[in-house]
Amino acid sequence: MTPERWRQINDLFHRVTELDIAAREELLTRTAQTDAELAAEVRSLLAAHKPEDGFLEQPAWAVAPTLAFDEPLARAGAMVGPYRIIKEIGRGGMGVVYEAEDTRLRRSVALKALPSEYTTDPVRRERLTREARAAAALTHPSIATIFALDELDGALYLVSELVRGETLREELGRGPIAGERLLPTLIDLAGGLAAAHDAGIVHRDFKPDNIVRCTDGRVKILDFGLARAPASDPRLTQDGTALGTPGYMPPEQLAGQDVDARTDVFAFGVVAWELATGTHPFGASAAQMLEHLLEGRAVTATAVTLPIPALEPILRRCLRRDLSERYPSAGPVLQDLQALRLTGAQPVATPPRPLETNPATALGWWRVHQAVLAVVIASMPVATWFVRRWNPQMGSWLFLVVLALATISVATRLNLLFTSRVNLPHLRDQRRRVYPVMAGAEAILGVLLLASAALVAGDTDALASVLVTLAVATMASLGVIEPATTAAARIDADEGR
Amino acid sequence: MTNDRPVDALLPVVYEELRRLAASYLRRERPGQTLQPTALVHEAYLRLMKDRPERWQNRAHFCAIAAHSMRQILIERARARGAQKRGGAQPRVTLDEGLVGGESPSFDLVALDEALGRLEQIDAEQARLVELRFFGGLTIEETAEAMNISPATVKRHWTMARAWLARELAGDRPV
Repeated sequence: MTPERWRQINDLFHRVTELDIAAREELLTRTAQTDAELAAEVRSLLAAHKPEDGFLEQPAWAVAPTLAFDEPLARAGAMVGPYRIIKEIGRGGMGVVYEAEDTRLRRSVALKALPSEYTTDPVRRERLTREARAAAALTHPSIATIFALDELDGALYLVSELVRGETLREELGRGPIAGERLLPTLIDLAGGLAAAHDAGIVHRDFKPDNIVRCTDGRVKILDFGLARAPASDPRLTQDGTALGTPGYMPPEQLAGQDVDARTDVFAFGVVAWELATGTHPFGASAAQMLEHLLEGRAVTATAVTLPIPALEPILRRCLRRDLSERYPSAGPVLQDLQALRLTGAQPVATPPRPLETNPATALGWWRVHQAVLAVVIASMPVATWFVRRWNPQMGSWLFLVVLALATISVATRLNLLFTSRVNLPHLRDQRRRVYPVMAGAEAILGVLLLASAALVAGDTDALASVLVTLAVATMASLGVIEPATTAAARIDADEGR
Repeated sequence: MTNDRPVDALLPVVYEELRRLAASYLRRERPGQTLQPTALVHEAYLRLMKDRPERWQNRAHFCAIAAHSMRQILIERARARGAQKRGGAQPRVTLDEGLVGGESPSFDLVALDEALGRLEQIDAEQARLVELRFFGGLTIEETAEAMNISPATVKRHWTMARAWLARELAGDRPV
């Protein structure tokens, strides 16, 4: 836009805004006759011109004070009371966390700046103080200890043990936890939760992001003692982040009901399942997960097996939708896990298992098998076609029947291959449905090809041997190879193991 | 133009002061009350002037820096927060989470910043005026003083810039 044009737009806009509606219309219509573009531009500006709507009238920081000022400290080296800020190490719905040095004791601490609601709202503040006091009494190797709840420069800070290491979320990014580390990790976590539950404290937001693996290999649970907002707080439900993390909340918490130790038990079940398998027990996508959680559907993982089979009933009991069927608190979970370790269930899980196949790799081979067999069977009608040259009458009939059966078999195999790609959870059901037809067709194909070979044997041994090879290959596959790959890929495993 | 443009080195100083003051205002006042924007910039100015007066050419210079640093900080955070909420997707934060309930229509801070960038190309003076008024919290009179133009001109520019920006944001604004 040229400066001249912009000046014209400004002038006309100001002239028009000083007129009443009728005069405006007249002036714009008159302008449109000579300069339609200018009139249209000013018309659209007029439509947006609403002097009374308050747009931009409040300064930015007054409209969004939390955006502007909710981080009381941002700079390394700043002092907050006796604490010197080293650096920011994280942030979330509950405020910003800094690594800081307690200058009196010369020790490193984690300093969590709590949102200003806690300073201004006496109810929330009281609740936070109560929880922090209870949590500060907790000393357990698997729990990051709380040192203090301080009011400094008019804001509240939760001071706790600084835990160095990476979160289990980060660790999960590289896959499930190796067999020999799994049970000790789960026992540490259940132990921490059990200690808290014994003291009457519920975590409410137990998830891999809140657990840190220290450099010595042990795990520590963070963020005990932070009062969560009740679900009825509209500000926080709108925000959708402060209520915990949907993938780890049991149905009753999702429904906004009161929570107790069994909430943590459920979250523990989800976390443990994730650590053991690398996948979320309620499905991969957030939408799928929520749907399953709300319906309380049982764990649907299909091609997934726990590395410690005896762990499964324990985790399933943690994940029950019905509160009365779930473990009442983390204590009994810990006992069952310890019993599992004592009964020697662990050797099953420890990695010296050279013959164990990874189901994912096996699934790949199963797919290759499907593809190869589809090609073999597709070549059968081609081979049978040549039988007609030596035995026109029988040959035509044989060809047509083989063609029909091979079409059924190839279509079914390709369908299974496709299902395994796009809808893996349904593969098992789908296979169970189509397998009898497919296997029947292939068995008949084998017999027919042997019969064809018998018809042409002596006339053309080359064709006869091709037919016999195809027949034998198919029957061997049906009887031996397929059951083996299917079992390895765990496609035929029972649902309710 | 260039000599009264904010100096980047001074931005953090001003912002830190504004932030510190605003935090104490917010704490002192009851929730639901809006802090007095003008008071904030004035107080920051007085404090920083007392501290090292040689750094500031004049009041206008200070206000321009205050407004510009506030814009930078807010936009940076709005982007960061939007990215956090949406896992790195298109960052968008609407300006409706403040203490003033329901009075101003909600709109997208990042989109406003982008629109303001476009206005700058067309009319740098109007864009600067919006920055002073909206990000610096200056009144019409203070803006006139800071820009060395008459209050009537400020009003005219403001009306135009406001309508232009409202139209630019129309696509993003809920009706």
